[in-house]
Amino acid sequence: MSDTGTYLYAVTGETSSASPEGLVGVAGTAVRTIPCAGLVAYVSTVPLDEFGAEPLRRSMENLEWLGETAGAHHNVVEEVAEERPTAPVRLVTVYRGDESVRKLLRERHDDFLDVLAQIAGRREWGVKAYIDLAAADSGAAAPSAGGPGTAYLKKRQAGLRSREEAWRSAAARAEQLHDTLSSVAVASHRHRAQDPELSGRKEPMILNGAYLVERDRREEFTRVVEELRGEGVDVELTGPWAPYSFTDLEVRGDG
Amino acid sequence: MRIQSDPEAMERDLSRLVLTLVELVRQLVERQALRRMEQSDLTDDQIETLGLTLMKLEEAMTEVCERFGLSPSDLNLDLGPLGTLLPES
Repeated sequence: MSDTGTYLYAVTGETSSASPEGLVGVAGTAVRTIPCAGLVAYVSTVPLDEFGAEPLRRSMENLEWLGETAGAHHNVVEEVAEERPTAPVRLVTVYRGDESVRKLLRERHDDFLDVLAQIAGRREWGVKAYIDLAAADSGAAAPSAGGPGTAYLKKRQAGLRSREEAWRSAAARAEQLHDTLSSVAVASHRHRAQDPELSGRKEPMILNGAYLVERDRREEFTRVVEELRGEGVDVELTGPWAPYSFTDLEVRGDG
Repeated sequence: MRIQSDPEAMERDLSRLVLTLVELVRQLVERQALRRMEQSDLTDDQIETLGLTLMKLEEAMTEVCERFGLSPSDLNLDLGPLGTLLPES
């Protein structure tokens, strides 16, 4: 076994201008292409003492390393996706060598073609929606007969009820947002909502959606997002991204 | 919450753990009381007594927490994929 591996970023259909000149990938390596079976793989040669299975397990816990590597990976994918339909591959997908990548392109040829046809001329947009539950929480309990103990329980009851109601209406609102956005998109996917620690926002996230949108419907999509704001709901739009959420072919490295 | 080997930190973490469990039980009893109240299972006197007890318990919890320098959010264990032990307030 050699001490270098082949790091795979993305796969595209064959094009005439597929030279990634000057493109720098993970760990400062040069990005090159492997054409095979009518497809092109974008790869780098990486040292296995950094990208082998064992060192990777340790490196993945190093947030600084992970940040740099993810940044470089996404940069390559975005550059490639800017010009042509691109199926991005998950972070740190490493193969033993170029031959393994060619084998992948031959074996999964039809799957790649399907995915590339699906995303041609389209880009992914991310929409996150947050709800301000405090705005919905009135908490005003009806004055009741009885002593302070009864009043206390009534207040708790009202608090719990209004919270439950707020959550129910938040879920319905998320459903409605997703439907509206999906109607402008070719395909959509709901990711798990992130918790506040990850999203960095205090308000709970009610929608974490990905939408595959035709390039020429971009303005329409942005307008729809704008219109969804309000009534205690804040909507965050990110993108356009390479279509990560719509190209999951479960490609795993063998390095 | 991580239990560390340093004795002082350990004492603090243990107090926090105990208070967390007390608060969990208090909230469970409160939910149960509300459910029984909604089912008209309790007389007005019973409701008043239960309410007073729960209210005093809450006040006592707040006091103890202040003494230990803990805030309500400190009394919540993150159970990872299961969410948090107590509902977020």
